[in-house]
Amino acid sequence: MATIDQTTRQTTGPTTGQTTEVGGPPAQGTPGHDPHATSTGVTNTKLAIWLFLSSDCLFFGAFIASYLLYRGRDVSGPGPRELFDIPFTSATSFILLMSSLTMVLALAAIQRGDHRRVRIWILATALLGATFIGGQVFEFTEFSREGLHVSTNLFGSSFYLLTGFHGAHVTIGIIWLLSLWGMSTRGRLPTKKAESVEIAGLYWHFVDVVWIVIFTVIYLIPQPR
Amino acid sequence: MSEGTLQRVEGDVAVAARGELGHALEPAPGLLPGEERPHPSPFKYVVIAVALCIVTAIEIGTSYLQGDIPNGLLIFLLLAMALLKFVGVAGWYMHLQTDKPIFRRFFILGCIAAVILYTIVLATLSVFAA
Repeated sequence: MATIDQTTRQTTGPTTGQTTEVGGPPAQGTPGHDPHATSTGVTNTKLAIWLFLSSDCLFFGAFIASYLLYRGRDVSGPGPRELFDIPFTSATSFILLMSSLTMVLALAAIQRGDHRRVRIWILATALLGATFIGGQVFEFTEFSREGLHVSTNLFGSSFYLLTGFHGAHVTIGIIWLLSLWGMSTRGRLPTKKAESVEIAGLYWHFVDVVWIVIFTVIYLIPQPR
Repeated sequence: MSEGTLQRVEGDVAVAARGELGHALEPAPGLLPGEERPHPSPFKYVVIAVALCIVTAIEIGTSYLQGDIPNGLLIFLLLAMALLKFVGVAGWYMHLQTDKPIFRRFFILGCIAAVILYTIVLATLSVFAA
């Protein structure tokens, strides 16, 4: 049986005889190491973000399902056939896809300790995201000019709600990234905090993945006649 | 044995177990907590991005075939390409391929739950009826 030295809080294994420090400081040279070891072998923060993303699937699933439910059931007002500009939306989709690349390059940079490149890639991600939001705002403005508002018809309410919530997620992501960029410029984002960038990256990639689904289901799949 | 003594012994056993197992819960050298294998290299990320762009371009091109191919086939192709991009981003950019399986399980559980739940809802409301 393992013995415990109460004065030093060290344990000695029964078979190995090795001494292990209990609740000691994190191991040196292990970036992102959580000093509070968990029973799952993963950090609580990372597990929590994955649980959140898992629940967010249900959140967006509800709005996508609502859109599919109301599709083709409008009796008045403009519809997707008259309004959608597929080439324009394709360009904004491409921009969001590229922002996922810059985000993952930022993570790779902080893992190898290249902080200058971290700032460059994080800022690039935020700027690409802002460009995407700009495209969304332009699209919403054009649709509004054509007479489509939230209360115009079923298409209007379901479309604006779904893409609006997605846009809100992207905006929150941009603010998150800019705060990380600010922390990095002040030297408060060392390599051992790489997990902070990873978690922001997971959120950003999820937002991109949701847009992949939205773009296909709403814009590309043919509308009922 | 009194309750206080029993609790102290339980606490000591838990601490000893943690001390014995603590090293097994630490990541291998060179890996971050939660990683099973090293993450892809930056070059691989760029290759994946190029592949995603190509699939997106094919997807957009396919959408213009409406009327030339049956709608059912068109929808199937579009959803298949969307799923391919979804797996590409989730697998490599979100590191589900290289991280511990627990993350994959939680995320896939959420996705499957959403698909099943809302398929049932839409079927109940006759969205799929001819």
